[in-house]
Amino acid sequence: MLEDLIAGKKSLFADGVHTELRAQENRYRNVTLVQGNLMGNSRSETSGICARVCKNGVFGFSSMAEYSASAAEAVLKAATNNALFLNQRAPKNKPAIPKLPAGTVPVNRVIVDNEQKKYIDFCKELDDYIAKTYPKLTSRTVVYTEDSMDKILYTSDGHDGHTTSPRCYIYVIMNSETLDGTPIELYDVFGGAGNFDDNFGTVEKLYPKLEALYKKVMDKRAGVYAEAGYKTVILGGILSGMLAHEAVGHTVEADLVLGGSVAGPNLNKRVASDLVTLVDFAHTALGKPAPLPVYLDDEGTPAEDAVIIENGILKGYMNNRETAELYGVKPVGNARGFEFSDEPLIRMRNTTILPGKDKLEEMIASVEDGYYLLDTGNGQADLTGEFMFGVNMGYEIKNGKLGRAILDTTVSGVAFDMLKTVDMVSDEMVWSSSGFCGKKQAMPVGMGGPALRCKIMMGGR
Amino acid sequence: MEELRCVAQKVQEEIKNAGIEKARFSVEEKETQEFSMENGEFSLYRTLFDKDLSVTVFPNQKKGSGSTNKLDDASIKAVVEGALASAESAVPDEAYDIAPKQENQAFEAGTYEPDMDLLFARTKELAEDIKKEFPKIQVMLMMVSHEKNHEIYWNTNGTEFERFYGCYNLMIEFSANEGDKTTSLAYASVRTATLEQPFIEMAAVKRKLADTVKQLDVKPMEGKFTGTVVLMPECVDEFLGYICSNFTSDSVILEKTSIWLDKLGEQVADPRVSVTFDPMHEQIISRERYTYDGFVSEPEDFIKDGVLSSFKTSLYVANKSGVKPAKNTSYCMVMQPGDTSFEDIIKNTKQGLLLGGFSGGQPGTNGEISGVAKNSFLIEDGKITTAVNEVMITGNLADMIQNVVAISKETLSEGTSVMPYVAVDGVVVSGKE
Repeated sequence: MLEDLIAGKKSLFADGVHTELRAQENRYRNVTLVQGNLMGNSRSETSGICARVCKNGVFGFSSMAEYSASAAEAVLKAATNNALFLNQRAPKNKPAIPKLPAGTVPVNRVIVDNEQKKYIDFCKELDDYIAKTYPKLTSRTVVYTEDSMDKILYTSDGHDGHTTSPRCYIYVIMNSETLDGTPIELYDVFGGAGNFDDNFGTVEKLYPKLEALYKKVMDKRAGVYAEAGYKTVILGGILSGMLAHEAVGHTVEADLVLGGSVAGPNLNKRVASDLVTLVDFAHTALGKPAPLPVYLDDEGTPAEDAVIIENGILKGYMNNRETAELYGVKPVGNARGFEFSDEPLIRMRNTTILPGKDKLEEMIASVEDGYYLLDTGNGQADLTGEFMFGVNMGYEIKNGKLGRAILDTTVSGVAFDMLKTVDMVSDEMVWSSSGFCGKKQAMPVGMGGPALRCKIMMGGR
Repeated sequence: MEELRCVAQKVQEEIKNAGIEKARFSVEEKETQEFSMENGEFSLYRTLFDKDLSVTVFPNQKKGSGSTNKLDDASIKAVVEGALASAESAVPDEAYDIAPKQENQAFEAGTYEPDMDLLFARTKELAEDIKKEFPKIQVMLMMVSHEKNHEIYWNTNGTEFERFYGCYNLMIEFSANEGDKTTSLAYASVRTATLEQPFIEMAAVKRKLADTVKQLDVKPMEGKFTGTVVLMPECVDEFLGYICSNFTSDSVILEKTSIWLDKLGEQVADPRVSVTFDPMHEQIISRERYTYDGFVSEPEDFIKDGVLSSFKTSLYVANKSGVKPAKNTSYCMVMQPGDTSFEDIIKNTKQGLLLGGFSGGQPGTNGEISGVAKNSFLIEDGKITTAVNEVMITGNLADMIQNVVAISKETLSEGTSVMPYVAVDGVVVSGKE
């Protein structure tokens, strides 16, 4: 855990500017076993200090890979000089960012640093079990990965704080071949926020999840290519979470709204069926801790939930302090930086479509000819809300019953069109939190959703 | 400079004192200066000072790694001890190795010291040029930077490399806007060692801005056809990258899941296809001069006249799989141009799609690829006609590289690769029903 070496440095903040000073350490660990071979075995960390200064609407930023009182002084000086440089050469002459009430956010969780042996032994035991239990696989990969952020923040106004966010995951990748010898691959990921012992007990606890993954691999061996076209589908929770993040979430980040996103002209308009409500949760979701809780952002704003779509109507955007002022709303803590060398950007936290009242079984039974899409490897969207998701597991639905598995495909659509076709929403939801969102910098994010019945474009032969 | 050498000396001593017979490390200092413009206005000036020490040790043929960005004595000791502790828990493997002793060398690449005043002026000039020449373009984000990097590499076979590298980077995210109409986001990037030319004249910046304006009149494509897709150079780069990664990289060779596993020396592509990995190419600004296994990097044929020439394997996977290690680790690809002009490629296409961007899922190990065509146009009766959206393309990478119709004479380099336009056949193009 970071020791506070910068508590007294507020006295160095320049007058007449907004200043943030942040010390940060990120830690990463990886163990990778490919076919039992130890391909990755590393622990690494980065730490340092940064300052950001705003003068009349332009920002200066500086960071150093050194955490010390003298480094704090150096970055404060460089960031101030950079802000003054831009203010002189490319002035914006904007008024100061409105001040926030002062306060302090205390440490929320301790980061544990075990010996590497613990992780290697766990992965080896898991890998041995997979090799022994599932000899039909052509290959297997087990990956343990963890990352954490430990931040100490001081601001010229707003909240100061010391926040931590560790998370850890085990990926299991299973490879096999279709009946005609074409390679196929599926993976699952286990874990979440917190340290190793918060997420993993014994290897045996993972056996049911491995069995479920293996069954899907065996189903996919007899998989068929999906038929291309505009289809009725049940999007599983993993995909509706991806939809919430990629296709809607990014278009309502205020910096992208200013860049011309489709959300700009649609505020307070219908963008989805009235069954759809979408929220970016800060630290508590539906009465439980959110997958990756955020209590304080890197501009000194205490984190609160952001309601984006309510009963199908677009209600708001995600903001930093500057854009919140522009749109006349309260900032709720979406400005975050990933490494000590990253300035805060508008980022999602735990973005999800809220569950509805339908039962998944009834939703499947209601589809005459379509697909049930379960897992995705990646997704992208752009300013227009046009999105695509890779789908690596799904099933045909014929006459209300699940049929053959499908091989890898892609689905696409335009978010605000596609969401209007949602006519059933399941009462259970699924969260995922292992990924990084990429938007100039990486950032751990949570996303989730219920199953949705909707219409979507399927790629295929 | 001397400080980095002093750090390298301390790391060597820690490794020797720990009695580690086989190890390698790199230590570097980085400095980045970056201007950002948002929505046409300068918004941020960043100055970043960073360091990195990465150590890999192989005691008793076990592997452990560690890294840190702190270079004080205690951190150096901690990272070596941490790597050693990781290795102690690892499984021994005879395939772990480092390159035999190479001649010690110092390398320089790119432009080490920046001209920040000129960089600021070129950035401002680009914003003004876009406003003047493409008034419908809205630049959401423009980032220009100079990064410089000084690195020392060392291994226990006595090899020591030193590298000074610097380059300028430009990245623009933009769309076109007119009334309520907005196009998809488009991107342009340039990596360059000099600022002699205005940015708008570099690489494909101007062409991408012009194409994006044409996208304002976009229409959804109706129906579906199987036919020719003309890949713009940046898409050729992306698709070849998938081919390299999915068929020839470490993991698929080690897992034996590559569909090209037994294809070395065999025809895998149209005979007109020749691709080289060449980080030293005159149009490429790459920092790579040596590999972390400890070899001096050399250009290497990937596919020569359609024949698979090499795998992209590390020394470990090469030892494990009985193949040769790759001669460089870069993805700096140079594809040989063809003998047809881009204009003639379009003229010779009766029905097809000009693919300007691709938003797709990671292709499977079987090479199946599908995704949304971005910034793309229909080709009808030898002419580029309608800008289209909501179009998906589906194909197989291994088939596509065999079904080449034509390769253009013209090539594009954005500083990281050199690519022509390539027309391929047999791709499923599907629009709204």
